[in-house]
Amino acid sequence: MRIFHNLNVDFLGKRKIAYTFSISLLLLGLISLVVRGLEFGIDFRGGTEIVVDFQKPVNISTVRGYIEQIGLGNVEIKTFGGETGILVRTEAQDLPRPVYKKMITIIDEAKNKTLPSATFILADTSNTGSVTYSVANPDSVEVVIRALMASGFQADKASEDLNNNKVLVRVGNSDWIKYNLREKIKDNNFQILREERIGPKVGKELKVDALLALLLSFAVILVYLAFRYKAAFGASAVLAVFHDSFIMIGLYSLLYGIIPGLNLEVNLTVVAAFLTFVGYSMSDNVIVFDRIRENMKIHKSKSLEEIMNMSVNQTMSRTILTGGAALVTILVLIICGGEVLRTFSYTLFFGILIGTYSSIFVASALVLDYTRYTKKKIEF
Amino acid sequence: MKVFTFRIVIITAFILLSVYLLYPTYVDHQNTVRLTEILEKARLNVQKYHPDWTPFQVEHRMKQIEDSVKGLDPSYASARAKRVKLGLDLQGGMRVVLEVNTVKLLDKVAKNPDNVFKQVLADAEKDAALSDENVIDLFARKMKEKGVRLSRYYGTVRDDDKKIIDQLKKDAEDAVTRAMEIIRNRIDQYGVSEPSIQRQGARRIVVELPGVAREEEAKNLLQGTALLEFRLVKEPQQAIAIMQKVDDVLAGVDLKDTTKTDTTNATVKTAGKNRDTVNYDKLPENKRREVFEKNHPFFSLAITQQNSADLLVLEENKAKVQMLLNRPDVQAILGDNSEFLFEAKPYTGQDGKKVFPLILVNKKAELTGGVITNAQANIDQTTSGAVVSMEMNSEGSSEWARITGANINKRIAIVLDNLIFSAPNVKNKITGGRSQIDGMKNMEEAKLLEIVLKAGALPAPVNIIEERTVGPSLGQDSINSGLFSAFLGYILIAAFMIFYYRRSGFVAAVALIFVVFFLFGLMAGFKATLTLPGIAGIILTMAMAIDANVLIYERMREELATGKTMKAVVEAGFSKAFSAIIDSNVTTFFTGIILYQFGTGPVQGFALTLMIGIVTSLFGTLVIARLIFDYMLYKGIKITVE
Repeated sequence: MRIFHNLNVDFLGKRKIAYTFSISLLLLGLISLVVRGLEFGIDFRGGTEIVVDFQKPVNISTVRGYIEQIGLGNVEIKTFGGETGILVRTEAQDLPRPVYKKMITIIDEAKNKTLPSATFILADTSNTGSVTYSVANPDSVEVVIRALMASGFQADKASEDLNNNKVLVRVGNSDWIKYNLREKIKDNNFQILREERIGPKVGKELKVDALLALLLSFAVILVYLAFRYKAAFGASAVLAVFHDSFIMIGLYSLLYGIIPGLNLEVNLTVVAAFLTFVGYSMSDNVIVFDRIRENMKIHKSKSLEEIMNMSVNQTMSRTILTGGAALVTILVLIICGGEVLRTFSYTLFFGILIGTYSSIFVASALVLDYTRYTKKKIEF
Repeated sequence: MKVFTFRIVIITAFILLSVYLLYPTYVDHQNTVRLTEILEKARLNVQKYHPDWTPFQVEHRMKQIEDSVKGLDPSYASARAKRVKLGLDLQGGMRVVLEVNTVKLLDKVAKNPDNVFKQVLADAEKDAALSDENVIDLFARKMKEKGVRLSRYYGTVRDDDKKIIDQLKKDAEDAVTRAMEIIRNRIDQYGVSEPSIQRQGARRIVVELPGVAREEEAKNLLQGTALLEFRLVKEPQQAIAIMQKVDDVLAGVDLKDTTKTDTTNATVKTAGKNRDTVNYDKLPENKRREVFEKNHPFFSLAITQQNSADLLVLEENKAKVQMLLNRPDVQAILGDNSEFLFEAKPYTGQDGKKVFPLILVNKKAELTGGVITNAQANIDQTTSGAVVSMEMNSEGSSEWARITGANINKRIAIVLDNLIFSAPNVKNKITGGRSQIDGMKNMEEAKLLEIVLKAGALPAPVNIIEERTVGPSLGQDSINSGLFSAFLGYILIAAFMIFYYRRSGFVAAVALIFVVFFLFGLMAGFKATLTLPGIAGIILTMAMAIDANVLIYERMREELATGKTMKAVVEAGFSKAFSAIIDSNVTTFFTGIILYQFGTGPVQGFALTLMIGIVTSLFGTLVIARLIFDYMLYKGIKITVE
């Protein structure tokens, strides 16, 4: 059984159609980027993010109603996984003062409920990241800490000194969010699946690093391909992959928020998937180029266009088969791989589709037009 | 057959190597399953017999049981150490990035901070939050704008701004080293398995704490100040007497203690009668150890030495010893002013195992580290050994003179966060606050003591700039779905290959099993970390391995159409497809390298898995599949490729 046996499609002759299609996709993506921009995850924006899993299903709009206005500025609430998972995210770094004051009241309440008789005096409120209390004597420190931890607060000794009588309670956005979730959704317990807090500088640095990595991989591959093939091939391969990358970014910008449940935010793992699909697309192009190189050595009399067509057609079954195999495995990942990997898998899925498209319709066409444009003849 | 022997030998060697490297992972898995069962039963027990316990008490008991199970069976620790490392996203845990709080450092080191100083510092802090520029540079610039010389607050009058800035920057970098040491100490004590503490750049520390469920406690480890104490070491005679009593108490414990309802217990067995008069020479060789352990539960773990009252404990026994020492009956013997403390850094014994000295010291400190003003590691001119010179402030100096005067020829332990870093002899009374500590093996040890002394004196304030926690349940779910997807992916690919390429497809499917197996083996061998994207990388590797096979088989089909013999077809298929396979795998490998350099954590795990996967898939296709084909040709087995 064979597929694409004796295929003879004039891919290169019809390359104008492919160009038009690509350019329109690129334009669409560009417009979308300018108008909507990209949705960045917490890795790049910084902020706090909590993912919780409730025992019973929750209604996302109800939760949104409870949590949106809790004083942390812009708060995003999304579903995570099935009906029991909720993701809460805010860009705020530290607790705003008004919220900080409320936290202090909450801690006092918790302490009064469990240890009403213990002395508890505010000692230090200069840093909105923590509250320091003085207790009666060093021995009660342990007891107070346990009571506070049982109520869900992060408490510890203020110092390791033997005479220490101060208790330090750490407060942050995640504590405030957790408190609100607990208070307002009383009949449904939750456990914390994941918690992240990223500083603002870190996010900026990551953006720069990600871009550098992308450019570096382009450069390295360009050099390698120029070495193994001719410069024309190297440049075209890189250009084709650039084209793939932009379409991908454009697609992300265009589609986010449109398909429910399809989470298209850009974070570290997405960048990793991106770089992977760059590698895949590149290797896909290389397979076709290798065949072109071989055919050029055998069929010295034929024109470049004829040889390219021949090569693309000959490699078609392999291209489709490998692409298909990769897509099937990624599909398995999308369906069974769990929520955490979902965006990563989608990126790879789209990437392989786009990469396969460009290997067939775009890469060789670019080489052809490059030679026509520079009027150079390629010889191996 | 000769042609095959070489390749078969190599492949068999790899298989054996992989089995050897992967065996601990299997053992670890069995251990984890068993431990979970034990804890489940124990939890039910606790609920039955102690329904009134608070969650804290329950957790405490669970930890005790877990520690005792692990203490009894050394394979827990060794298998855990050698298994395939799981990333935080798969085993749950915390990842924290700390940055030295240079602002606090500038504040603490300043001589006479006045209002101008505080104002400028606050401004610099605000700007630093948003700019990439170093806080020290920002601060210096603002001071210059105000026309104030830095020497007003730092260094001496003669120092110009540049010199002070350089010194401050150096201090900031030193602070990172100190902070790392303090954190390392605490994490060791907390008992996290496979913690990772690494420096990132000039001012940051990345700490990974796998399996940490009690996030609150862990976060508290990472901030605050360290406590440096000077404690007197108990005199040898007194120490030995106490140790003897501890051993006696532990040996005489009756197992019929009905308040214990856990299913596991410490290594305390009922001692035989006349334990002190046992003649070990009369016992058979293998019985001696057993009887000794029964009669001397303490000394069999904490081994006595000839010329010193310090005990030695093997690394694997540390937890057990700690557990024994925490028992209320042992604590009663130690009384109010005695405490056993371990040394922070171990020796390497003759058999290569790590050994920690255990020393009996006073509980109450003679002096705390706040009095130290400077510490410096040096080479002593006269003895050419490594020494540390230590200076104290006036308050400390007078105290120190009193303490050293009263304790000549006794030892004083230098303790940081309850771990001993050095326990030198007091040779003479030290007035003037300048001491010299010797007895360090080399400059490295001396440098460490210098860091420790400074850490007690000048804490390194750190900020958490990034923290990520993954709960263990999410981690477990991720493993399950990841591995299931990989398995399902394999089935689908293998089925397709067999259907489309017939027997050749079958060869590919078999080779693919080896590819994945070697991939895991190599990961265990390189101590690479498997992350969730890494599992995706494995799936991708399978797809790329198939790609190589497809290239070969398509080529084989073409060659077959030209009427060559099967032998020639196989030959041509492999050789002609070779260049394409190499090129495509190399380009993907390059992106893997770049991903590895740029990425952190899960992304690095993915890159490494991808790169190792490419290597094993090349081996699987070009060597293993080829071998199978050659064998089939040799034996005259029919090869079909369509």
